[in-house]
Amino acid sequence: MKVFINLLPPEIVASELKKAKFYKVQFIAIGVILFMIFISSLTLALRVLQSHNNSLYKTKIAQAEQKISDMGKTQNSLLVLKDRLGMISQHYKIQSQQSKMYELLDTLVPSSVTVNAISIDKKGTVNLTVLTSDPAVLDQMIDNLTNKEKNQQAISQTGVDGVSRSASGLYRVSFTIKQKQDK
Amino acid sequence: MKKSDLVKLYQSHKLYLFPVTVALSSIFLIAFIIYPQTIKLIENQKASGDLISKSKLLETKVAALERFNEEDLSQKTQVALVSLPLEKDLGEIIGLLQQIGAQSGFSVASISVSVNNAGSPSGGNTDNTAKTADLNDYKILLSVQGPKVLLQSLLKNLESSPRLIKINNIDIASNSKSSEIIEVSLSLSVLYAPLPENLVKADSPLPDLTQNDEELISNLEMAEATVSSSNQLSPKGKANPFE
Repeated sequence: MKVFINLLPPEIVASELKKAKFYKVQFIAIGVILFMIFISSLTLALRVLQSHNNSLYKTKIAQAEQKISDMGKTQNSLLVLKDRLGMISQHYKIQSQQSKMYELLDTLVPSSVTVNAISIDKKGTVNLTVLTSDPAVLDQMIDNLTNKEKNQQAISQTGVDGVSRSASGLYRVSFTIKQKQDK
Repeated sequence: MKKSDLVKLYQSHKLYLFPVTVALSSIFLIAFIIYPQTIKLIENQKASGDLISKSKLLETKVAALERFNEEDLSQKTQVALVSLPLEKDLGEIIGLLQQIGAQSGFSVASISVSVNNAGSPSGGNTDNTAKTADLNDYKILLSVQGPKVLLQSLLKNLESSPRLIKINNIDIASNSKSSEIIEVSLSLSVLYAPLPENLVKADSPLPDLTQNDEELISNLEMAEATVSSSNQLSPKGKANPFE
């Protein structure tokens, strides 16, 4: 059995304990201040690095802007060209309703019928006046205008505005033809 | 205070002196260095990101611009401006319509520009200039005379001319002397478009010419080439629209 006997006087024991406590506190304080200095240095270093990088990028941006400015004519030409082409592509070689309607009527009106007048307005509505001496041809023409297969379903309505017959047997007929509108 | 008093004070408080000094120094470092610099670091991080993005965008733009040939691009732009000029081109359009009429086998009886209600020559925005999306147009009344069989050719030539023209109304009347000859009155809209105000944006990416764009330019060049040399088309307006 071990017996521990401390022969030191209590004052020295207290003094040693106090000394140990003192060194411990000093050590912690030194640790804290070193840590604070480290964190401060790190923060300052990061700020300096960030500023340096920002300066580099600003320089690059300035150089790029200068190059773009030197090629200003090329840029302007390209932008104007794209602007024009965008609008031209929507309208170039686009057949108008009026033109389509005339093309259709050219196929529907028999060749033996004399077209006296055609008027095609902005909506594609046609006012047509024809002359013919043969009523059978007139019937054929009306059939062409009203038959969905023959008129390619492009005509929504055909109206006869007037029919007259001269003493010589010449029929004069006026039509109003409405184009089918695309929805 | 005597030296012995100072020594006594130090001896009695030596345990706390250094830690208090460290604590005060730490507070000082945090308050004046660490905290402000950290805040600035975070704030500037977004700005740094923006700078990086802008730098990349501009470098891409520079590389894209360097690929283009300035002269070739300028020539293509001229072709496009002939087709759709920046402003009205009355002189050019009259010559062109005469040319198209002649090519289609028709003789031009009259060409008139529609006037406003006051009866004075149209001009500015008070005439019957209409707007279609970004486009403006002015009205022209074209009266021609020619063979009936060639009318479709005339209409096709008008709609496929190098200059953008739209047909609004068609009025056809047979000639009293011959049923094969007709008199045609066409109401046309001739398109033009000023440049948008915010066309040039420094930070926006550069557009590229697609295959469709190149084909369209090629078609326009061919159409312009078929117009006779006696009616040389030239773009209307300033040589450099940005001056």
